[in-house]
Amino acid sequence: MDGSRRPEPHYPVTAFAVANALGSSANAVAAELEAGRSGLRPCPFDLPFETVCGMFAGHLESLPPSLAGHDSRIARMALAVIEGMAREVASAVRRWGSSRVAIAVGTSTGGILESERALRTHAATGRLPERFDLDRQHAFHGFLEVLRARTGARGPAYVVSTACSSSGKVLGTARRLIAADLADAVVTGGVDTLCDTTLRGFGSLQALSRRPCRPFSAERDGTSIGEGGAFLLVERNGEGRVLLLGVGESSDAYHMAHPHPEGLGARLAIEEALRHAGLDASAIDHVNAHGTGTVANDAVEARAIAAAAGTAAAVTSTKCYTGHLLGAAGATEAVFAALAIERGVVPATLGAEPLDPEVALDVCLEPRRGRFRTALSNSMAFGGSNVAVLLGAPR
Amino acid sequence: MTRAFIGGIGLCAPGLDATSEWLTTFPGITDSGEPSEVLPAALRRRASPLTRMAATVAAQAARQAGLDLARVPLVLGSAYGEIVAAAEMIRSFGEDEGLPSPTRFHNSVHNTAAAYLSMATGNRGFSTALAAGSATPAAVVLEALAWLRSRGGEALLVLLDELPPAPFDLAHPYPTAAVALHVSAEPTRGTLAVVSGLRRGIASRPDLPGGLGAHPCAGAFAMAAAVARGQRGALGLGAFDEDGWLVDVDAVRVG
Repeated sequence: MDGSRRPEPHYPVTAFAVANALGSSANAVAAELEAGRSGLRPCPFDLPFETVCGMFAGHLESLPPSLAGHDSRIARMALAVIEGMAREVASAVRRWGSSRVAIAVGTSTGGILESERALRTHAATGRLPERFDLDRQHAFHGFLEVLRARTGARGPAYVVSTACSSSGKVLGTARRLIAADLADAVVTGGVDTLCDTTLRGFGSLQALSRRPCRPFSAERDGTSIGEGGAFLLVERNGEGRVLLLGVGESSDAYHMAHPHPEGLGARLAIEEALRHAGLDASAIDHVNAHGTGTVANDAVEARAIAAAAGTAAAVTSTKCYTGHLLGAAGATEAVFAALAIERGVVPATLGAEPLDPEVALDVCLEPRRGRFRTALSNSMAFGGSNVAVLLGAPR
Repeated sequence: MTRAFIGGIGLCAPGLDATSEWLTTFPGITDSGEPSEVLPAALRRRASPLTRMAATVAAQAARQAGLDLARVPLVLGSAYGEIVAAAEMIRSFGEDEGLPSPTRFHNSVHNTAAAYLSMATGNRGFSTALAAGSATPAAVVLEALAWLRSRGGEALLVLLDELPPAPFDLAHPYPTAAVALHVSAEPTRGTLAVVSGLRRGIASRPDLPGGLGAHPCAGAFAMAAAVARGQRGALGLGAFDEDGWLVDVDAVRVG
């Protein structure tokens, strides 16, 4: 990084798809966001505490016979979500050739839900379920293989798993793979499912609210977990719904589970995304914040946003609608940022009132209509892994 | 394709016979699983075995390459990640309150080792954690080459896997082991090998001692072995089927 203001190539995002607790298509999800309707409901998992969560709203079909051995909730969800841009992916494979289309997908849970079920069976019977296959159903490469088969993409294919920043970072990978001429198009995105591991894990950290989370509120008391996925097709050139202007990636070097108190790592990530774009902080019109609704995150992130992106942008957190999608959060919220640019609406942050007086940002308490030319999406993860994705309207 | 230059290697394969073939041919390659000086005691106590191995190999590669761990971009690769911690945690749901220990939970993420290295060295730069089954070494090399070509400079690659615990018995077990490779966009006085020609191609699993040929990161161990043996030629990074990746390694013979 040389500190120069020369912008790097701005690759078009030619298609995107999203599905979660709000709905099973981008249009359905956008309608719920703009109407201010949360998808969070009492959690159906048998847990030793009370919480709400965002269950996937769409129908999850079983895998086709050729992939039956890979059957898992995450693979089913990945296929359901990517269906929303199957036509555009097929077109990219035809245009560039299958070996030039890469897949970079983020997840934190992978298929661990299947291992939880398998280990419960083992505890009860002394045997794993007959059909359980660690490689095909649990491991990250299991659902990666399903995506390769479905898309026909035969270029580089891998999973990025850095907890809650995973599927924001895949957009950084996409920029580099294209810039390095290792691919011409990259299917990026992320998928995560609800499971005991994340629900009980965040429960043990006392990070979960009993009610739908209330990002940036003075009364916030924890986050809510959700499941779902999103995909974005990034191409070397073409007609973009939005442009990928920059992706900043950094580390806190501070703590496994707590953010740096001044949000130093998050600031570095935002600043790097701006450098890629060749833009000043004043150019950011909208921020879709990480905004988990935990006491620690929101105060720290607000400081980082104010320091690196200024206080003029319309800020929202959408975790109060979908729950925290963990490994799928980065891609999902990048799609939400893209929808805000396309549709000219920033969703309200539900439950944000009374706003935390420490949050010196323009948090949207009502849906905000306007012309948003650039939108930033932040994700901050366990281990201090941060990513800031900067999108812009097509020129 | 951009060439990359290997300037340092670290290897940790506890239980492997350190006197066997290429393991002895190269200063800096050891099979030692001794605690690394990289992790301060407080972090070491909380670190998983896999994370401690990552610190050991990172320190070895850094020493050999004259590398500043506080500044180098890190690409971590593992097929199964912290699967022992994850399985232990799942079992704990059936006990007591049904909640895992917070440390075990946050230590179960795939980027745990990268996070501990960042915390131990104060590195606030780029790091990532990848997975692609037996193509994990290919994924790490692709990500690193993309990084070097678009940013220049250097990167530290750390690849590691532990054996999934019972009852997840794999058909082809392998030893828990880690390898680190320092790569840079430009050659240095200490360059050990040149890597070039990344391409699709079919290769058979490498013949490596102690069952490392069955390791998910076998392609990376094979690269370390090629450098240690001073070899020149094509090498399979995995996967070892029609979806495989090959790379040419031209090692400068040392020792």
